[in-house]
Amino acid sequence: MDAALPTNPQPAALRGPILRSVRTLVGALLMIGCALGNAGEIHRGLGPSPDTIDIHRAQGLSAFNLLRDLHEGLLTRDAAGKPVAGIAREWTISDDGRSWTFELDRQARWSDGSAITADDFERGFARALKPETASPTAGWLEPIEAVEVLDRRRLEIRLKRRVPWFDELLTLPVTFPWPADGQALSSGPFRLVDRVPGARFELEKNPHYREADAVAADAIVWHVTEDPSAELARFRAGELHITESVPPGRHDWLKRELGDSLRVAPYLGSFYLVYNLGRPPFAGNPELREALSLAIDRDIIVERVLGTGELPAWRLVPPGLEGWPDTPPPEANIPRAARIERARELLEAAGYADKSLTIELRFNSSLAHRRLSAAVAAMWKQHLGISTTLVNEEWKVFVTNRRHGRITEIVRGGWIADWADPGNFLANFHSGSRLNYAFLRDDRFDRLLQRAERADGRERTRLLWQAEERLLERNAIVPLYYYVSRHLVAPEISGYEDNPMDIHLSRWLSL
Amino acid sequence: MLNYSLKRLASAIPTLLILITVAFFLIRIAPGGPFDSEKGLPAEIEANLEAKYQLDDPLVIQYFRYLGDIARFDFGPSFHYRDWTVNQLIAQGAPVSFTLGGIALILAFVVGTLIGVWAALKQNSLSDYLTMSVAMIGISIPNFVAAPLLILLFAIALGWLPAGGWDGSIQRMVLPAIALSLPMIAYVARITRGSMIEVLHSSFIRTARAKGMPEHEVLLRHALKPALLPVISYLGPAAAAILTGSVVIERIFTIPGIGSHFVQGALNRDYTLVMGVVIFYGVLIIALNYLVDLLYAWLDPRIRYDR
Repeated sequence: MDAALPTNPQPAALRGPILRSVRTLVGALLMIGCALGNAGEIHRGLGPSPDTIDIHRAQGLSAFNLLRDLHEGLLTRDAAGKPVAGIAREWTISDDGRSWTFELDRQARWSDGSAITADDFERGFARALKPETASPTAGWLEPIEAVEVLDRRRLEIRLKRRVPWFDELLTLPVTFPWPADGQALSSGPFRLVDRVPGARFELEKNPHYREADAVAADAIVWHVTEDPSAELARFRAGELHITESVPPGRHDWLKRELGDSLRVAPYLGSFYLVYNLGRPPFAGNPELREALSLAIDRDIIVERVLGTGELPAWRLVPPGLEGWPDTPPPEANIPRAARIERARELLEAAGYADKSLTIELRFNSSLAHRRLSAAVAAMWKQHLGISTTLVNEEWKVFVTNRRHGRITEIVRGGWIADWADPGNFLANFHSGSRLNYAFLRDDRFDRLLQRAERADGRERTRLLWQAEERLLERNAIVPLYYYVSRHLVAPEISGYEDNPMDIHLSRWLSL
Repeated sequence: MLNYSLKRLASAIPTLLILITVAFFLIRIAPGGPFDSEKGLPAEIEANLEAKYQLDDPLVIQYFRYLGDIARFDFGPSFHYRDWTVNQLIAQGAPVSFTLGGIALILAFVVGTLIGVWAALKQNSLSDYLTMSVAMIGISIPNFVAAPLLILLFAIALGWLPAGGWDGSIQRMVLPAIALSLPMIAYVARITRGSMIEVLHSSFIRTARAKGMPEHEVLLRHALKPALLPVISYLGPAAAAILTGSVVIERIFTIPGIGSHFVQGALNRDYTLVMGVVIFYGVLIIALNYLVDLLYAWLDPRIRYDR
């Protein structure tokens, strides 16, 4: 095993001199001809296997993490996850915020050495929008009105309206350039050497990358890790430097065993339950919805059930967004007993005081969801006397049922920010959204979102805040907690910074 | 013998056809489709994709088209691994699974037979009881328990072997092959012991011994061949056990074989990939059972003359 790989935590019992020499001997025999890695080669866990590495067709976190190493957009992300200059060296924004003019970096090259031009970007946008491409993320380009090539190195993008998070959007793969002959070329810090479906992607440093000198790692191997427990085992055996996930629970044990390697940080994501407002018993029954929400003790959920640093949530949008007020709703500050008292009153008002009621909570199979749902059901039973049927479904079955809403009552919901903006969370509850699993049809909410779309700065924030207030007032969802990102990072890795977008480009990392 | 083998071969075709039909309709009945995801797809894009993969035709038409495709050995594009065809995925995964399964099978039969013969010779002694108890434990512990224990000991605590992954090196094969073969070693050992004891008590062995034949010759020339008959017939089920076992083992050790494609394919509703793997497994099991039947007929003349 190479010295560059993570050191292997050893139980004390195995450190005796005899065992050590036996270990060395056997180890040496087994390791003959086996080089797990070279200096400058970083091994990262990828999570589930991406469906494709086509920038326009890919979706999902694992595909994006890989694509951000292989390609680059006008903007990219720094180690702290913030948008910074990418292939565009600099850019200007018109006063009305609708026209963005980019000046491309002269050093920007494809991995074959040819220059990356403004045409390549225009071609990329055009391909993303073609129906044959069937891009699942092309919808994100909706605010774009026109893309115009000013000259070889200058590009203008005109927007239908001011889009405050447009810089964030330009870091997403769907906005990346596309080479003239459609070849598999890289525009990013690394290029693909080999890939084995379901196993790994081997990347090497792209020598033509505009800032190749600043890229420390010579090679990156992304390992497909479908199972967090297997990923943990591989990290502990010294085969991975960074994991994509950490198995749920066992937080104290992990902390003890792995110490500073365990990295837990706030993450722009929100976990909530969603009522189906289109069906009984929750349609037209706001008191029942509010009662159920009040009866859940978020502190117990985050401390006892999750126990990994998540924050209790009473709102949808997670804290930490620029300009977003950090005010919890009044419910958060009511003492527990009073809250439960209020929940009982509401239940009585809803007409369930002396009727028995059984509701259904549906979630996709996972240990964490099962534990959480059981805890929630126990609270409803204890405080309100309501029985809950827990329905545990395989992923595809769950997403299909949740989307159709024909049999659902309460479903697991949750959202991880595509870009750092409150609107990204709230838009899912617009009556026209296909992600509106609550089947909320609220004109006032929709109007507030539409007005926010045209507004700017503080006014926009104010309107979005009001929209969130409206969503909570309608009791369409039960916010439970805000996510944290959880990774294992080997001590020899430097350049890794925790950040709320949980984006860690390999180009900032070194051994 | 030829007649017998042809008859057996002919029965394989309807078996395979039934398998294909049942699997085809079962996976389609399963709720959810290949393009369902957390965020879902806009309706027009989903329609585009369905048209591209010809999922918008009636199911029966899709079924017959599929039969036509597989008759030309074209298993179609994978719905999940969109940069690959199913043929490519199987071509890439099969050698991995074969290597792993082959090593496990050899390990199981060599080690299992040796243990079994040894226990039979020491019948009713302490070492016999001990080995058979260990074998019983081996059978009872499922490999999804044994595999993580092996990883914990040899990869994490001792650091001798990798905890997962696959690059064709021996080091990465050791733990998964052992984990896969453990229950089979135990099984083979028990079968061998039982049949060996029976053979050793039969009259022809007594005759051989009475002639003054040396003991090792009695064992090797006379006892072993008939004693191995039940073990050979276990070859078919063992191959099936390897396949089902590899589904678990490949996941635990993150090995990119057919087994992990099968599981992920089913979870992803990757219709073509699942079908490809089902057919591949089906052909393999039918072929192995056929081979066992032939082997059996060769070892035991009564079988070929009876039919």
